[in-house]
Amino acid sequence: MASSGWELAVNESGVLKGHEGAVLAVRFNGDGNYCLTCGKDRTLRLWNPHRGIHIKTYKSHGREVRDVHVTTDNAKLVSCGGDRQLFYWDVSSGRVIRKFRGHDSEVNSVKFNEYNAVVVSAGYDRSVRAFDCRSQSTEPIQIIDTFQDSVMSVHLTKTEIIAGCVDGTVRTFDIRMGRELVDQLGHPVNCISLSNDANCVLASCLDSTLRLLDRSTGELLQEYKGHKCKSYKMDCCLTNTDAHVVSGSEDGFIYFWDLVDASIVSSFRAHSSVVTSVSYHPKDVCMLTSSVDGTIKVWRK
Amino acid sequence: MHQFGPDPWICGLVRIQPQKIRNPFRVTKLYPKPVSSKRTNGQLTKQRSFLFFFPVVSSLPSSISPIFALVASAPICTVSSPLSMADVDEEDYVYFGTPIEREEEISSRKRKAIAEPGTLRSLPPWKQEVTDEEGRRRFHGAFTGGYSAGYYNTVGSKEGWTPQTFTSSRKNRAEVKKQNIYSFLDEDDLKDIGGNTLETSMQYDTFGFTAAEFARKKAEEEQKKRPSAIPGPAPDEIVLPASSSIGMRLLMKMGWRQGHSIKDSNAESLSEIRREARKAFMALSSNKAEPDISEKDADGTDEFPDMSIDVLRNSENTPVYVLNPKQDMYGLGYDPFKHAPEFRDSKRLRESKSRETKRSKVHMGSLLSSNSKKYAPGFGIGALEELDAEDEDIYASGFDYEQTEVELEPSKAVSSSSGDRMLQLEHKKRGSLLGFKLASDSDYKLERFYPPAIPSNFRPIHKFGAPLDQTLKNYNSVPPPDAPPPENTNLRLLIEGSAAMVARCGKSIEDLYMEKSKTNPLFLFLKSGAEGYDYYVRKLWENKQKFVDNLKPAEKLTAENRGRILGERPLASTTSRVNDVSVKAREVINTQSSHGDTVTKPISLADLPDSAIKQFKHDPAKQERFELFLKEKYQGGLRASGTRSSTSTSTMSEADRARERLDFEAAAEAIEKGKQTIQISAPSTDHTKDLLGFGEDRFVSSTLIENSETKLEETNVVYPKREQFEWRPSPILCKRFDLIDPYMGKPPPVPRPRSKMDSLIFLPEIFKSSNKEDAKSPIGNSLEASKSGLKEAEAEPSASEADVAPTSPKNVERPVDLYKAIFSDDSDDDEADAGPALNQALNPVKSSEGANKTLNRLVAGDFLESLGKELGLEVPPGSIPGPSLNANTVSLPEEQKSCKGGDDRDNTPFPKVKETKSKDYGSTVDSSREKKRSHSKHHRRRSRTPDLDPDSGSDSDSHRRHRSRSKKRHDRRDRSRSRDSESSDEAYMNRKERRKKHHSRHHEHKKKDYGDKYSDKKRRS
Repeated sequence: MASSGWELAVNESGVLKGHEGAVLAVRFNGDGNYCLTCGKDRTLRLWNPHRGIHIKTYKSHGREVRDVHVTTDNAKLVSCGGDRQLFYWDVSSGRVIRKFRGHDSEVNSVKFNEYNAVVVSAGYDRSVRAFDCRSQSTEPIQIIDTFQDSVMSVHLTKTEIIAGCVDGTVRTFDIRMGRELVDQLGHPVNCISLSNDANCVLASCLDSTLRLLDRSTGELLQEYKGHKCKSYKMDCCLTNTDAHVVSGSEDGFIYFWDLVDASIVSSFRAHSSVVTSVSYHPKDVCMLTSSVDGTIKVWRK
Repeated sequence: MHQFGPDPWICGLVRIQPQKIRNPFRVTKLYPKPVSSKRTNGQLTKQRSFLFFFPVVSSLPSSISPIFALVASAPICTVSSPLSMADVDEEDYVYFGTPIEREEEISSRKRKAIAEPGTLRSLPPWKQEVTDEEGRRRFHGAFTGGYSAGYYNTVGSKEGWTPQTFTSSRKNRAEVKKQNIYSFLDEDDLKDIGGNTLETSMQYDTFGFTAAEFARKKAEEEQKKRPSAIPGPAPDEIVLPASSSIGMRLLMKMGWRQGHSIKDSNAESLSEIRREARKAFMALSSNKAEPDISEKDADGTDEFPDMSIDVLRNSENTPVYVLNPKQDMYGLGYDPFKHAPEFRDSKRLRESKSRETKRSKVHMGSLLSSNSKKYAPGFGIGALEELDAEDEDIYASGFDYEQTEVELEPSKAVSSSSGDRMLQLEHKKRGSLLGFKLASDSDYKLERFYPPAIPSNFRPIHKFGAPLDQTLKNYNSVPPPDAPPPENTNLRLLIEGSAAMVARCGKSIEDLYMEKSKTNPLFLFLKSGAEGYDYYVRKLWENKQKFVDNLKPAEKLTAENRGRILGERPLASTTSRVNDVSVKAREVINTQSSHGDTVTKPISLADLPDSAIKQFKHDPAKQERFELFLKEKYQGGLRASGTRSSTSTSTMSEADRARERLDFEAAAEAIEKGKQTIQISAPSTDHTKDLLGFGEDRFVSSTLIENSETKLEETNVVYPKREQFEWRPSPILCKRFDLIDPYMGKPPPVPRPRSKMDSLIFLPEIFKSSNKEDAKSPIGNSLEASKSGLKEAEAEPSASEADVAPTSPKNVERPVDLYKAIFSDDSDDDEADAGPALNQALNPVKSSEGANKTLNRLVAGDFLESLGKELGLEVPPGSIPGPSLNANTVSLPEEQKSCKGGDDRDNTPFPKVKETKSKDYGSTVDSSREKKRSHSKHHRRRSRTPDLDPDSGSDSDSHRRHRSRSKKRHDRRDRSRSRDSESSDEAYMNRKERRKKHHSRHHEHKKKDYGDKYSDKKRRS
């Protein structure tokens, strides 16, 4: 029932314009009512994508902003980018509460943990760093530097830190067990994404393949091919029902695969240039895509 | 009668009290003024003045106490007409408010008021002010008392001067006040001083730099005040200097205009003016201006024959020639393209291209980017930061504005009217001379010569038919008898010449001469027995001899050689130093190769196919080295042969040697693989031959092999591959994640080996700990198997490891501090060694411990071997500890004996390592007994000194006391670690168990889910 086309967010319902230059990431907030974007113009923007309203702009970054994440209570933001720092923002006032430093080069990805107490970031400096939001210190409380190459993407569960790295590994750091699980994929991992039940991890590799791994065993469940992903940092995700896999492509296309049989269910041209990020609504059939062409598009069924 | 009062267009005059104005943009309260009906003529003028004073509320100075604002709903200029009428009769006018007074009047009145002595006198003394002749507060100057103050210009208060208190808080930082003379002087004082202030003058701004700078600053200020939508500094293209340079202004005054060359021909300027006038006239007169102008232009060319050319020239500025302005950041005179001039051209090309695109994109580009190179549009970076590689616009190809050059072709529009015009335009466009046309096809063609086709069988490596040396040797060995030269001088010269040729160029020339001799009788001497043959042979030999001498003069005459020739005694110091160096080099090589040994599994050379080893046939010297290498690699025979190899390779450069070594490694690996394939698929020998043949081909060249090898390896690894490591979350991280620290109260972690070198030092040892009974049985099996031979015995640990792997939940890499064990000196080690072994023998009951120990021995045997290799000792296979427990005790002294051959110090390590390990296992057994004990117990135990530790096995107590301090520490650490891992293992197992259940449940669920989907799909299809 879930694999038919009409269940997918394939119809454009709105365009959010405002970013000057490439939009590097788009993220729904926890409940999917708002979204955050960030881009090359060194700003973060808060939108209501459903009504197409631009709510706020956050300016303080000195270089491009690569990733942003918002707390579950929508009170705080954290963003990262080319200026090697994490910016911890107050959403309503738009002021920077703190800047976490420690990374030696650009920071690719950042996430809050479940209690919004820790920020975990992944950087080009081959490390994942955790920062404490509750203390005044801006120094990392944990540095994980077992990576061999730039860490592209990081995700957190209640007990784990999962990171995808260009050295071709997806590493799971289990805080409860004190274990590091290394899943070698053999190809540089561009982005990782968790399934909604958190049992699988979807890794976008730079050989234009998405790989779905079972997190408990590390076995490869499926491979998804057809799109183009060779050099840019691009996002991938699963749909809200976990029935499909979504990814952008370097030629501006969006691809939908069936999760089980890996067939391309839908593909269409969404943007005129590289699709940098896709974000799926946590509950509804609604998707956001951002592109280098400076636009964010809202897609519905 | 005009009623001026409540008119529809003047609502009223309102008075705004300044103290009520908080926000300059918002007036809080308005007081309507009572209407007055009286008015004089003088007041009328005032009235006019204030009527035209349209107040801008925001700019009202608050110091003027009553402010009148006019709020008008109608255009104010219409006031004038009723006013003029108002002159006639003033009596009936209605006035609103009080008129605004003129400034002069205010000041004069104020002055008067202040000047009035009565009012001043009435004030208390400290409020009296001294004023100057203009009525301002008197200021004596900073150093002469400042303002005339109260209390007769003495103090600021009754008590005296109130000192300023310095306050500075974290929030309100005290400002550092910078004072200079000028802050204490008013303009009068300044006038007195002379008013020498520094200012920039536009007067001498010859090139307009200052003006440009000024303009830019102004623009920046402007932007600071009102930030525009475009971030970043204002681009230079927009900001232009407000004033032109003085030179330009002068020129302009003299009739020069922007974009024209400077010349003094009056006639031309006249004609130009005339032409301009005509143009203007035409443009006004008709729509068909353009063709007319062109016609008139043609007329103009008739009048002034050289004018049209001048027009062309006129449109350009005089170009300024600057030879290679320095635009880079290199040092003076540094040329980065000195040795690669071809890159300079490419760079220039790129630059010019970018300049072109910049020009074409000037609309968007200049607006969006401050420095429009290849950087992201619109977003410059800070002024203090340098542009890095990461600032490059990696998305440029996607975001680039499409350069659609719209070819405006006015010629087409005009073409119907005059073909001439079109032609002209064409020429202007092409930039060629008037009256000339570019040829559509020229007979001049660039001739290209393509490189000759290389035959497919051509090999770029030249092979010499036979080594020169060997032929030379032949001649060396048997010097032909001396022969008298022939009488014929011509013949003699010919013979000598040809002999020299042959000696230099080889046998082929001789063959050529032979060929010639068939036709030409002059070359008859080449045939044996003919006249002059003997002489030829002799000459040939002599020449070759000479040639050989020339070939290696360098080898012949080193300093030492000369010294030897001269019978000098060699200098002891130099030789020894040389030897030292070479020894060092050799050592490096040796250690390298020995490391290689420890990594690779031994393979006997004997059962390798001959073709596999002979991979460098074409180069016998290399082949020899290769064989040597193989020998070293597989048989561990480092010593004698190693020195030989190093001497033979010492003539090569370091890089060459390294490359060759890589070659050898690769070749050896290929051989190994080939062998494996043989073992796997014995019948298909042709396949392996292919493989080897392939290798043979490949190893002729050098560096490509590595890649292919790694590729091969890559394909062998199956992805995804899962590995597990220990990882320690920091306690605070656990706290923030609301989890219990799994390593709470445990000692700090051991750094995980990073490189290969590390892993060689810290040999990873896989030890299992979950249940000893399980571990026992595979080892027991393996013990029998290990009897069969050395090879299998070595393979055993891995086999047992493979058996254990599925049962044991984790393989923790535990480093054994081998080097530390080696180099920490213990004198009483031997006796300490005997301890556990004896105890072992005495307590055969502890079978599980014994089994562990044997396992240790096996692993240790491996160590011993590798160690022996490293130290250059031949380790007999028998010295590997025997399988039975009794054999253990017996074999120990043997080992030591066998090790006695080398350095005494170096023998000690191995037993020690072994010993600590057996201890280790003992303790793990202990801990397995104490499984139920809590962490706090661990704590307590760790804090105790081991000497007094009653918990440790009683068997080891006796010898433990003899040990040195460092070793104790070492031992303790090991033990505690293993214990920790033990307990954590247990916890892990429990959790794992739980998780497994959960997982399996989940798995089922997932499967069901998929199944649902599948069935669904089927139904639909």
